[in-house]
Parts: sequence; C-alpha cells; structure tokens
Amino acid sequence: MTSPLASLQPAIELRDVVKVYEGGVRALDGVDLVVEEGEFVAITGPSGCGKSTLLHLVAALDTPTSGSVLVEGRDLDRVHDMSRFRREQVGLVFQLHNLLPQVSVRANIEVAMFGSRRSARGRRDRALELVQEMDLEGREDRLPTRLSGGERQRVAIARALANEPRLLLADEPTGNLDAASVDRMIGVFHQLHASGVTILLVTHDHSVAQAAQRIVYMRDGRIVDGVDAQ
Amino acid sequence: MRLPGPSGRLAPTVPTACLGPASARCAAGIRGGEPLSFLEFAFWNIWSKKARSLGLVLAIAFAVMTVVTLAVTSSGLEQSAAAIISVGKADFTVAQKGASDLLASTIDQGELTRLRQVHGVGSTVGVLVETEHLSASTPVFIEIGIAPTDLAPFGVTIVAGHPYGATTANQVMVGWRAASTFNLHVGSRFHANGTWNTVTGIFSTGNSFGDSAAMFPLPAVQGYNRVPGLVTMVFVKDAKGVTAATVAHRIDTDLPELTTIRTASQFGRADRDLVYLKAAVTGSTFLAVLIGAVIVGNTMLLSVFERTRELGLLRAIGWTRRRMVGLLLGENMALALLGAIIGVALAFAVTSILEQLPALKGVLHANYTSGAFWRALYTALGMSLIGGLYPATRAALLSPLKALSYE
Repeated sequence: MTSPLASLQPAIELRDVVKVYEGGVRALDGVDLVVEEGEFVAITGPSGCGKSTLLHLVAALDTPTSGSVLVEGRDLDRVHDMSRFRREQVGLVFQLHNLLPQVSVRANIEVAMFGSRRSARGRRDRALELVQEMDLEGREDRLPTRLSGGERQRVAIARALANEPRLLLADEPTGNLDAASVDRMIGVFHQLHASGVTILLVTHDHSVAQAAQRIVYMRDGRIVDGVDAQ
Repeated sequence: MRLPGPSGRLAPTVPTACLGPASARCAAGIRGGEPLSFLEFAFWNIWSKKARSLGLVLAIAFAVMTVVTLAVTSSGLEQSAAAIISVGKADFTVAQKGASDLLASTIDQGELTRLRQVHGVGSTVGVLVETEHLSASTPVFIEIGIAPTDLAPFGVTIVAGHPYGATTANQVMVGWRAASTFNLHVGSRFHANGTWNTVTGIFSTGNSFGDSAAMFPLPAVQGYNRVPGLVTMVFVKDAKGVTAATVAHRIDTDLPELTTIRTASQFGRADRDLVYLKAAVTGSTFLAVLIGAVIVGNTMLLSVFERTRELGLLRAIGWTRRRMVGLLLGENMALALLGAIIGVALAFAVTSILEQLPALKGVLHANYTSGAFWRALYTALGMSLIGGLYPATRAALLSPLKALSYE
C-alpha cells in the first residue's frame, strides 16, 4: 500500500550519478533523472550509452561511483537490507528472462516469494493469479524450456510482479522476441501502467520505446533529451 | 488484470486446473497443486543435475562405508577381546600393565602371591589363555588353562560329564558352542593343545566367547606353551565389606606392574593393540572426512560455477545470503543423508565379505553398534558441512550483476 508521504516522492530520482567501471570506463557521467510515481518511462540510446547501467543502479544491483539514487525517497546508499529492497520494492525483467529451467512456471514465480510474508499457500495462490493475469493458464506446470520466447518473458514479468512491487524495471525485455510477441509484451506493459505500476523500460528499439509515456535518450553516459511520447 | 489474446479477445477466465475432475476442488476455492516448499525446490535442483548429485552421493557413500566398516570391525575385535574378561564371575580382572595385547599378558607366581596378600582381595582365579589354529575354518580357537577347583568360582557350569583331573594329561572340557561346532560329546576325542584329548565334560559360562572355548588343566596348557607357573590374568573377588573400586585402587598402587580392569572401557590398560587400533580408526575417520570434504567441496564449487547465473538471479530477485547458504548446504545435506544410507548398506556388504575371507574368518566379527551408525551420520554431515561451507559462502557473496552476466 502506498503511504500518503510516499506518494509525494518521485518513484525514482537520480542526482548527478556517475558510474566509473574498473579500467576507467565512464558508463554514467553526471546523470539527473526523475521518474514520477505511476509513470511509464523508456530509456533508449545506442549500445554502451549507459542505459542498462542506470537500470542496474536503480535495481540496487550495483552502486554509483558518486551521486545518489533514490527510490520512493529512500537513498539506496542508506538501505541496509538490499535483499528485502530487491524483493519488495522492485520487480526486475531481463532480456534473457533468466528463468530457472529445472522447475515449473508456477515454481519460478513462487521462488521469488520465498522470504516474503506470504504463507506457502498464499505464494501458490498469488503465482496462479499471475499465471492467469499473464494469460499463461494451462502452462503453469510446464518447464520453461517448453514455452515460446514470448511466454517465457511473460513468466519473467509474472515473477517480477510476484511481491507486488510499485516499480517494474525491464532491461531490453523484447530483445529476443518476434514482432507478435513484442506487440503482446507492449500490451502487458500498458496494462501494468494502467494499473498504477511505475515502469522504467530500457530498450534500444525505438518502436518499443514509443510505447512509453516518456522517452529519455542517452548517449555517452549522459541524458541528452527527454520527450513525451504520447 | 486480463491480457488480450493474439486475436484481441480476452483469454478464458476459468483456470485450467478447474476443468474436469478438479472442478469440485475449484468450487471449494482450492486451485492448482501443492505449494512449492523450500525443500521441494532444493530437491528439484538436485534432481536436475543427476550425474553431479550421484557423484557426490557416491563419494560420501564410499567415505561412510570406509568409516563404518572400520568402526564395526574394530568394535567386533574390542568386543571379542573384552569378552575374555567377562567370562569369569569376578568383581574385576588383573593383567600385566601395558601388554601389547591381553593374551600377551603374563603374571608369575610371585606376583600372584603378592596380589592375594593385598588387603580386601577375597578369592582369586588365575587362568592361562592361549589361542590355537585348528583348521582353516577355525583359525583362532581359545584354550583356557584353569584348575578344576576354580571352575565353579570362575562361573563355569558343567552341563554334561565331569571336570578333568587337576593334573591329568590329555583331558579337556569343551564349551557347549564348541561341542556343537565340532560335534563333540562326553568321551569324544578332540585334537587341541598339541595332542589328542578325551572330552570329560561340556560346560556353559553364559558367555558366547567362553562357550566357544575349551578348558584344560592349568599345567597342561602351561606345559604345551612352555610358560610354567605363568597365568595370563587373574579374576578377583573382593572380600566382604570392601568395594571393588577400593581394592582395585590398592592393587594399582601396590603392584604397579599389574593393572585392574573393571569395565570394557578400561581394557586398553592391558591391551595396547586395541588402543592403537581405536586410535587408527579415529584417525581414519578424520582422514575419510577430510578427503570426502575435499571431494564434496570440489564438486560443489564446480556446481556453483555451473549455476552462477541461476544463483545470481536468486540474489537479484531478493534472496538473502543466508537463504542462499541454506539452499546450497541443504542440497548438500540431503545428498549426505542419502550417501550415509548407501554407505551403511555398502559397509554391511563389505563386512560380510571380509568375514568370509579365509584369512579373516573367525578373527573378524562385525559388531553393529548404534555408535557406528551415528559415526556414519556424523561423517556424512561433517563432510557435507566442511566441504560445502566455502562454496556456499562464495555463492552467497556473488555479485548478482556479475553472476547474471557470467558466461
């Protein structure tokens, strides 16, 4: 549940963020960005421009060299329980869906809820609810290897939404999909956006980026432009 | 939220699990299968890597088999040796201190006289115990030299016939188990102690070790083994009003060349071989755990490398380090338990084979104690824990981002 105070804060705020990798590669060079709650923002730009790095910092998978990353007003530098943050605050979708091949679709979703407050039955019911929402009924007991690329990516989204995060971060989620699956994936994002989820989508595909409410362009580790797409 | 299907229509709203025979369950609000438990997840991880899991189980099983085989055979040897002191109905036994093994103990007449003079010593029975190779099927046969007057105090009951004479040559009494084994009865001829003897009686001691032996007049055994006047051990009964502990303490103090044995655990005082054997078994156990732990650690480390992306994903979706360690060690523990069960079964088989080998027949008797099974469990879990700790910690400390980009 969103607290009244939280609703006053931007969902994501980056303040003069710099990220320099070992070897001196400057992936982000003083990035400032604000994403309001409920916004659907696409970050796009050429390969190596720093868009994935930006997403990783927001997901607390990496730390900035300098500057601050705030999610719902909380500086990630001051978050002690990163595991809990990743589990409850954000949902992550990767280009290579990264499903566990040895367990079923339902189990892949349930695994994300280990450590949450839900009971075992609660986890099962939530997983089945997401299976239904992602139009994967009848496939819940299948192994991911027996699904199409689009279906796998929908499972990955279901897993990302398992703990009902307010923020969904997607890194090139349509990278390996055919055109029909891409259209369907965009439909999913629109549905999620309509239900109030804040979405930060990283893509190099302009047609996918057009689906967002706002497009942020990056080049050489800097934000070069931001436009309303719709 | 319902997503539009490819045709633009909404997908069916009824869950598949609610179709057909399961519909009654759906009406009751129960859908799908059983929830995924942490253990089930660990099981599927193990199952998905069958070859690796099998390798780990076998490594643990062989280590457990080695440890259990050593434990049950050494325990059998200890039991056989300790059974000697249990034959006599005495308060405690006295033997030479620090002998290589109990049967090598010697007590001469002078020591026996001094022993009898210790305050609190009631009665004493000196016996000479020797072993003889009778045949390939009976490589170790126990022969006890004991005076006929000491038979009753020693706790020997004559069940058939009569005792031998005190100094009569070529007479023997056999325990009822030995009589059964060699098909002997009163009046039979039995070749033992270097000569043919007439069986004068069949006895029972209530102890399987004693009942499988033969008894001769003491001078006959001393003469055949060329140890006149010597006995192997002395069984002591306390005088009335004195405790065994007090008398034993006095003997230990007054006769430092001798030692008292009241329990099987004190057996090592008079049998250094057994002490060395037990030390060797303990050392072998540690060695087996160490070698097993290295194999487990190596296998698990390879597994962590193989599963780097998967482990990185779990960290990325919010699994704590503790949960990661729990998963990997839990998987290892499950394999260790399986390895322990297989290892114990293998130990049974190997011990049975060893017992039947001509060189070991009659010498090796497995003694399956609860301690041996606990040792199996400790060994397996010890290997799994020691070997698994570093790989599990390494996995828990993985950077999720680096792990996810691991090729």
